[in-house]
Amino acid sequence: MRADEATLARLMALSQAGDKQAYAALLESCQRWLRGYYSRRIAPSSLDDLVQETLIALHNKRASWDPTRPFLPWLAAIARYRWVDHLRRLYRAETRELNEELHGTDDEPAIAARISIDRLLGLLPPAQERAIALVKIEGLSIAEASEMTGQSESLVKVNIHRGLKKLALLIEKE
Amino acid sequence: MMMTPRNSDALIADLVGDLEPVRPLRFGAGMAGTLAAAGVSAALVIGLFGLRPDWLAGTVNPMHLVATGLFGGLGLAASVTVIVMSRPQVGSDHSGWRWAAGMAAMLPVAALIVAMGRGRDVLAGATMRHGAECFAAGSIASLLVFAVLTAWLRRGAPTAPARAGLVAGVAAGAFGAFAFSLHCPDNDIVHLGIWHSMAVLAMAGLGRLLVPRLIRW
Repeated sequence: MRADEATLARLMALSQAGDKQAYAALLESCQRWLRGYYSRRIAPSSLDDLVQETLIALHNKRASWDPTRPFLPWLAAIARYRWVDHLRRLYRAETRELNEELHGTDDEPAIAARISIDRLLGLLPPAQERAIALVKIEGLSIAEASEMTGQSESLVKVNIHRGLKKLALLIEKE
Repeated sequence: MMMTPRNSDALIADLVGDLEPVRPLRFGAGMAGTLAAAGVSAALVIGLFGLRPDWLAGTVNPMHLVATGLFGGLGLAASVTVIVMSRPQVGSDHSGWRWAAGMAAMLPVAALIVAMGRGRDVLAGATMRHGAECFAAGSIASLLVFAVLTAWLRRGAPTAPARAGLVAGVAAGAFGAFAFSLHCPDNDIVHLGIWHSMAVLAMAGLGRLLVPRLIRW
């Protein structure tokens, strides 16, 4: 089933009332939508984990959606929160996993630009956005990112730190 | 909290099996609960300490009215923001409370300017003691609203928990200062601007520190 706003909102309203069949359909649709949403914005090896974490957040926080409001901006806010949290955890753990294949696919579903992750990243100053994209999303090392951007290694680290901090405060921004 | 299973199909089956009906967080319900808590706090202050003597005599003081109104307005605006923050949505605006905070900040600013002109008088023992009592009472009077807003945030999904905690503290502190202003007979701008505002600052700090630890995603 194609995930459109009206269908998802109807399924979510039924799910809040305890309809398990509707909930199963909703979670399947959300899983597909989230895969498209995160596509090319997270290392492929982390995609499954992030989608699952977001589905769990959807489940735990399902009461925070008001049936009188649109569904996808609510799901996008939760997805952005989990995405930023994921990047921050990577940052804290200093994981340096390289990813060879980061091209994604061309069948990404149409997502309203105003709720996209690109829009969120675009709110950062270019130097911070680039540092996060290269190191946290594409998996380059600090040294490689430094070479590519012309920033010193310490500046790359500072830009990642400041950028992630700023992203955490901008999650619901259009 | 559920653990992440190996594949999404298994996870979805677990989540569906775990589904229970929930009551959506409605804006009106959140505001009604908060205003009821603020009303109960004000009623308790009046019941325990009594209403201001000038109100009982049928007169009002302009300085007191302005200060109390600013605290009430700040409490209302910050509460609206907290309720909005508990229900995430890309496109939500969380900045409304800042305008009310900016206006209420004129109280401590004016108080400091006047206090500088008075010199050491503002540090007199009795003045400090009376101020500290109002600060403590205002802070205690804010606890019920703080508990209601914290519970609301715990049920909700604030994407900026630290900021949500700060604003919840501002809302609670402002309603606490509002409630105690209904008893405190002091109309002096230095007293109102410093000691009553201090309850707002203290609760904002408490909210910023405590609330993020209580929110579970």
